[in-house]
Amino acid sequence: MKIGVYICHCGINIADHVDVEAVRDFAKDHPQVVIARDYTYMCSDPGQDLIMRDIEMERLDRIVVAACSPTMHERTFRNVISKSGLNPYFLEIANIREHCSWVHHDRTRATEKAKDLVSAAIAKAQLLEPLQAQEKSVTPSSLVIGGGIAGMQAAFDIAASGFRVVLVEKTPVLGGHVARLNRTFPYLEEAEQLIGPRIEAVLNHARIEVMPFSEVEKIDGSVGEFSAEIRRRPHYVDGEKCDRCGECLKSCPVDVIDDSNYRRNARKAVYFPSTDGPNEILLIDTEACLHFKDQSCDRCQRTCPQGAIDFTQEGRLEQVQVGTIIVATGHDIFDATKKTELGYGKYQQVITAAEFERLTASWGRTKETPRIGDTVPKAIAFVHCVGSRDKQVGNEYCSRVCCTYTAKQALWVRENIPDSEVMVFYIDVRTFGKGYEELYERAQKRGVIYKKGVPSEIFRGGDKVVLRGEDALLGQPYEKAFDLVVLATGLIPSQGAQSLKNLMKLSLSPDGFFMEVHPKLRPLDTAVDGIFLAGTCQGPKDIADTLAQAHGAASRATTTLFQGKVAIDPVIAAIDEGICSGCGICEEVCEYAALTLDPYRRLMTINTALCKGCGACNSACPAGAISLKHFKPEQIIAQVYALCMGE
Amino acid sequence: MPAQKIESPVALVIGGGIAGMQASLDIADKGFKVVLVEKEPTIGGHMAQLDKTFPTLDCSSCILTPKMVEVGSHPNIEAMTYSEVIEIQGEMGDFQITIRKKPRYVDLKKCTGCGLCAEACVQRTRIANEFDMGIGKRAAIYIPFPQAVPQKYLIDPDHCLMLTKGKCGKEPRCQKACGTHAIDFNQKEENVTIQAGAIVVATGYDQFDARLKPEYGYGRYENVLSGIEFERLCSASGPTKGSIEYNGVEPKRVVFIQCVGSRDKTVGNEYCSRVCCMYTAKQAHLVRERIPDAKITICYMDIRAFGKGYEEFYDRVQKEKIIFRRGNPSEIYKRGESLMIRGEDTLLGEPYEEETDLVVLATGLVPRQDAEQLGRMLGISHTPEGFFKEAETKETIPTSKPGVFLAGCCQSPKDIPDAVAQASGAAAMACICLAEGRS
Ligand SMILES: Cc1cc2nc3c(=O)[nH]c(=O)nc-3n(C[C@H](O)[C@H](O)[C@H](O)COP(=O)(O)OP(=O)(O)OC[C@H]3O[C@@H](n4cnc5c(N)ncnc54)[C@H](O)[C@@H]3O)c2cc1C
Ligand SMILES: Cc1cc2nc3c(=O)[nH]c(=O)nc-3n(C[C@H](O)[C@H](O)[C@H](O)COP(=O)(O)OP(=O)(O)OC[C@H]3O[C@@H](n4cnc5c(N)ncnc54)[C@H](O)[C@@H]3O)c2cc1C
Ligand code: SF4
Ligand code: SF4
Repeated sequence: MKIGVYICHCGINIADHVDVEAVRDFAKDHPQVVIARDYTYMCSDPGQDLIMRDIEMERLDRIVVAACSPTMHERTFRNVISKSGLNPYFLEIANIREHCSWVHHDRTRATEKAKDLVSAAIAKAQLLEPLQAQEKSVTPSSLVIGGGIAGMQAAFDIAASGFRVVLVEKTPVLGGHVARLNRTFPYLEEAEQLIGPRIEAVLNHARIEVMPFSEVEKIDGSVGEFSAEIRRRPHYVDGEKCDRCGECLKSCPVDVIDDSNYRRNARKAVYFPSTDGPNEILLIDTEACLHFKDQSCDRCQRTCPQGAIDFTQEGRLEQVQVGTIIVATGHDIFDATKKTELGYGKYQQVITAAEFERLTASWGRTKETPRIGDTVPKAIAFVHCVGSRDKQVGNEYCSRVCCTYTAKQALWVRENIPDSEVMVFYIDVRTFGKGYEELYERAQKRGVIYKKGVPSEIFRGGDKVVLRGEDALLGQPYEKAFDLVVLATGLIPSQGAQSLKNLMKLSLSPDGFFMEVHPKLRPLDTAVDGIFLAGTCQGPKDIADTLAQAHGAASRATTTLFQGKVAIDPVIAAIDEGICSGCGICEEVCEYAALTLDPYRRLMTINTALCKGCGACNSACPAGAISLKHFKPEQIIAQVYALCMGE
Repeated sequence: MPAQKIESPVALVIGGGIAGMQASLDIADKGFKVVLVEKEPTIGGHMAQLDKTFPTLDCSSCILTPKMVEVGSHPNIEAMTYSEVIEIQGEMGDFQITIRKKPRYVDLKKCTGCGLCAEACVQRTRIANEFDMGIGKRAAIYIPFPQAVPQKYLIDPDHCLMLTKGKCGKEPRCQKACGTHAIDFNQKEENVTIQAGAIVVATGYDQFDARLKPEYGYGRYENVLSGIEFERLCSASGPTKGSIEYNGVEPKRVVFIQCVGSRDKTVGNEYCSRVCCMYTAKQAHLVRERIPDAKITICYMDIRAFGKGYEEFYDRVQKEKIIFRRGNPSEIYKRGESLMIRGEDTLLGEPYEEETDLVVLATGLVPRQDAEQLGRMLGISHTPEGFFKEAETKETIPTSKPGVFLAGCCQSPKDIPDAVAQASGAAAMACICLAEGRS
């Protein structure tokens, strides 16, 4: 065997604390080493040339580079040696920078350690085996889960890039929470302006298939070739036949409180899921409908002039094949009844900010005087951080939008209810985004009064409610009566996050939102290759940041599609079928679900596309049936042996 | 968007900070060519100067430099450092861009980055190092920092004796020391023209010049530091190797002041800079870690810890025996060797006076000095405070000029995760233009 050893100075980074020449001479003495060199920057072009020349001239068959961490330049050097015709995995790196020169200051002993590391690398290099990176093809389409503003934007971008998209939305309508807002901070344009055009764009795009009222039930496969099973729920109204005349609504005898409108109004058991979106298909609420209860009613069916009502309609399961997936399932809103001391659910004068959005939207539309019950509210309080920054309810995080939407809502009151008195109770005012501080200023200028210190209690006082708390600036307790109190309820993880997480083997952060793989540099990627995050499913954020993320997630998801193939790293686990007993212990430790039991052969099988080569299974297997390529037991033992002999 | 004919599936990215790098990688990974123009001698931007990053406290250069190497070696990216865009013509799909490459006086192909030239330079350790905010020193031939990409030296034309006086001893020592004959004092500025289908602007921010708030004494008292100066002081690769000191003395009392140059109409910046609350919490934590018995005070208006994991981080820092004082000081003045800080504590409603050894100003993020000029060249406008303006409210990436997109802090202040997400978004939108042209 002919080994070449290359010791890098890394400028002065290594050379200052390690005697590189001594290490080079030490390596030269090794019987298998035919050449050993040192150089200022091995990774530079001239350094790379040195290695390439030697491989050709000396016919080297294994290379050891003693330099910085392999995360830094392993790829560089693999490229170098494969350019000279060697298998790229015939390379071993000895990390004498991070593991040696950067952490030791005694030059003599650091040099000894560097020698040990090099001799271990030489020992392993002799046992390296050739490995081949594999490629597989990619289905040129994406699945986007969630039809809020994030999901719609991501779907649109992917389609505009030239790929097919399946957009799955759980509810019967697209638009998510934004569709239920009135005007949006900071520039106060109508939410409809943001949502309407996007709904239209995704519905009309030839490459987007929208699946409303549907849910993902199963996901298999891996990046490039996922397959998903989607449950499409029945509407019991034939969308083709129905001409949206609304006769059925008139005939239905049942009244239901509408959840989707924060329980503020009633609807029928057969209904338009939204009253203002263009994407409506009528549907029947099976929990309320008398036909589904006891078959006692079929009035709508009899009334419909088109014969569109079909109680026998069945849901179906659809299979889709995609290359990548974007999760955009958004958020839910904190349930304010959990803060019993604030009286939500008990007093009609206490409402949530989301409800307030609906109220202002409808007051705006009808131009009627704002009323709560019979009274025109004049004294209105806003309370920040309800369900956020509150360890008592288990949400330590800040919801990021409520300070600014409160400024928006408070300003609305001052501009729309003459001689109203508006007070905002806060902990900190977090109006951090572009144009937000200005909005906060504007609200204050228009007479909104900010008080530091959120109330500890809200109770009834005549036909008003009274807020009690402590003013943190004056250091004095306050007690003040209001006609209306709006709670700035925070954003919480969406209900389905947990099951979706399990379905796709994703992780959640401690706060319950989906976890990105690296909080700084990969904020849109998950630990599963090919699955990405967009919008508030990853953490609370406003529309602007949600959209930026949605475009970003589309970029991440289309990269693989543009490439048309994915490389499979060959440094993965391998099963010795002669030893494996199919006990399944490894399956439990694998974080990436790469191992499954083949029930017929009673053997574990490995999905090479899912395995990340982490090595967890190797150490778990009681029989030693799994080994990790490139880190085989004999390779590691040779390293350990070389280290011990060095003493 | 009507399909327009794209002449060349090339994207131009202006600015090689974390946003520009992310945008470049996202575009290049899809198979399109990228020309990345960076005006400094290295890519990396401000993130390269940071010590640790909130809220996870990972070392900034450890996560940044692999990315820089990736950009530097990507087959689809041509990184033109020490270069500037001087002219832009044309429309989406067919922009003609002229780029000026400043002379480095060092042949990029020959330089191995060994550093012997800098060791030999007569000006060695005489010139204030910009990268270290002037706290450290460098030679006239230099590399901004050891992990710079490209790892190539350049000569500072304002300080090199050969270039300023035409003579350096008998023979320039750097030239003598260079084993590959890479030094070339005759190099000239060079203009190149390229064509691109889409442009991503990622020119980042400048730090607020704290001298504009004379009451804080920045520039007058050497123990009043700006945010980035303090980052360099903390950094293990910085001039003090990470030991927090000035003039060799470890401060026992440190005061941080937030919102310096932000939320402040007296300096014309009404906006919030979005990162300084958090970087102050981080810096206070670093002081606590390295000087366990220091008295640390943070003066603030509101604590804006809004991002993922930020409130949790802030909570942790609060428990590290750090005094939070609501109300920014009105004045800082010198008493003997110490600084006196005077202001009103708005929670207690009483005035305070505090003596300290070191003051760190949470200097805000302001638009690049040359932003207006670049904006004019690009045909895009800016908001009153000077950041580039997006075309639609809520959409932070597209501009009023089709084919020109924004990424990172040039659009408005933001932290690294938000800059990176937006940069990927800008890449998506640029690639839509490029893909339309190709098909
Ligand atoms: C009261 C209030 C006022 C606000 N005001 C403003 C404002 O003025 N300006 C501003 O910028 N921001 C505002 N926001 C924030 C804004 O609502 C969010 O930024 C935005 O809704 C985020 O969009 P999204 O697409 O991420 O999530 P969502 O809007 O929650 O959309 C998620 C979508 O996914 C669907 N879904 C969920 N689970 C599944 C599943 N398992 N399968 C399929 N589909 C699923 C949901 O049905 C929904 O349609 C406000 C928020 C609140 C609560
Ligand atoms: C003291 C301080 C501490 C911070 N700490 C953190 C932290 O811990 N965590 C965190 O998330 N964020 C932190 N930040 C914020 C962080 O610095 C920014 O989010 C990030 O650097 C933004 O990157 P960018 O690419 O947008 O801009 P920049 O880093 O400014 O990069 C812009 C690049 O463009 C180049 N350029 C400028 N103009 C031109 C031109 N005309 N032509 C060509 N090139 C040009 C510049 O040279 C530069 O390389 C901190 C900020 C400060 C001030
Ligand atoms: S955005 Fe404001 S109101 Fe909402 S949780 Fe954060 S600090 Fe509280
Ligand atoms: S982030 Fe904090 S310190 Fe910075 S300007 Fe905003 S409020 Fe002030």
